[in-house]
Amino acid sequence: MALIIPVVFIVVFAFAIYKKVKIYDEFSAGVKEAVNFTISLIPCLAAIFMMCELFEASGLADGLTKLLSPVFGVLGIPRELTKLVLIKPFSGSGSLAYLDEIIKNYGADSYIARCACVCFGSSETVFYISAVYFAGMKNKKLAMPIAVVLISTLVTTIFACLICRVI
Amino acid sequence: MNVIFCAVFFLSLIVLTVTAPEKLLSSLLSGAENSAKMALTLFCIYAVWMGLSNLAEKSGLSKSAAKALTPLTKKIFKTSNPAALESLAMNMSCNLLGIGGAATPYAVKAIAELEKDKNNWAQKLLFVINATSVQLLPTTVIALRASAGSASAFDIFLPSLICTSISTALAVALYTFGRRIWR
Repeated sequence: MALIIPVVFIVVFAFAIYKKVKIYDEFSAGVKEAVNFTISLIPCLAAIFMMCELFEASGLADGLTKLLSPVFGVLGIPRELTKLVLIKPFSGSGSLAYLDEIIKNYGADSYIARCACVCFGSSETVFYISAVYFAGMKNKKLAMPIAVVLISTLVTTIFACLICRVI
Repeated sequence: MNVIFCAVFFLSLIVLTVTAPEKLLSSLLSGAENSAKMALTLFCIYAVWMGLSNLAEKSGLSKSAAKALTPLTKKIFKTSNPAALESLAMNMSCNLLGIGGAATPYAVKAIAELEKDKNNWAQKLLFVINATSVQLLPTTVIALRASAGSASAFDIFLPSLICTSISTALAVALYTFGRRIWR
């Protein structure tokens, strides 16, 4: 499985050589696009990260975690995962830090850690993606799609906690 | 997004003003700092993948991939714009291969192309599919477990695959259904 990425590179490079593409020029042209693309993301990123930081610093994030832990418990989601599930839609790096913590605290093969891994792997940073995808668009009425994604993510999280007991 | 941002930001602002006003500026600054770090990390990912994807594009490889997937993407996204179809096909292939970093630039390109046709439905569908994660192989998680000394780091592969399929299928169903009653 670790071979997927090297194989993709070899195939693309071999095909480009075969088609006599100017590899160095075109590769750097691609990187140039990456520069412009990243710069276009920065305004949205900065605003959202400031919001997340405030949310965390004000204690509202902790409060929400405490408030929702029992609710999640009823749904079959272990208490230890509440924070991970809540942070994931906002921040990939933040939730990755929590996931790492859970794995280290409970052991990589524990039920909690396996559960956390499956939840993490089957969800995405919804708000970040919505900001990036629609950064330049006029129509930003995303309430419905975002709600749909969040509901599906929650249902999947509940299901993940069930399935990890069996498999 | 405007409503969410405003609500969360303002509420946190009020709470922070009451509980710890001196923390306000420092947390805003550290948020901005995190975003700069994130932008740098993202640039590194995009530099690698967009460099590679430009090679795939110029050699005609992505066009062939798009052609192979056209019947499928045409049906799902209801578009016949060839540039959009190409980006959509590449986005899907990158997602399935588990290289999410490469998938994002294609998604942004596809959305810009779909904007030209005013195909709002397809734009949001693409978002829904990507935001529920369609990767076949959760590489990051497996690497994390292996490094923490897991006896079988790969054993979350099957549950992850099942869960991620369910979440995408459910989201697409809800979206198609929701679109009829709520515009």
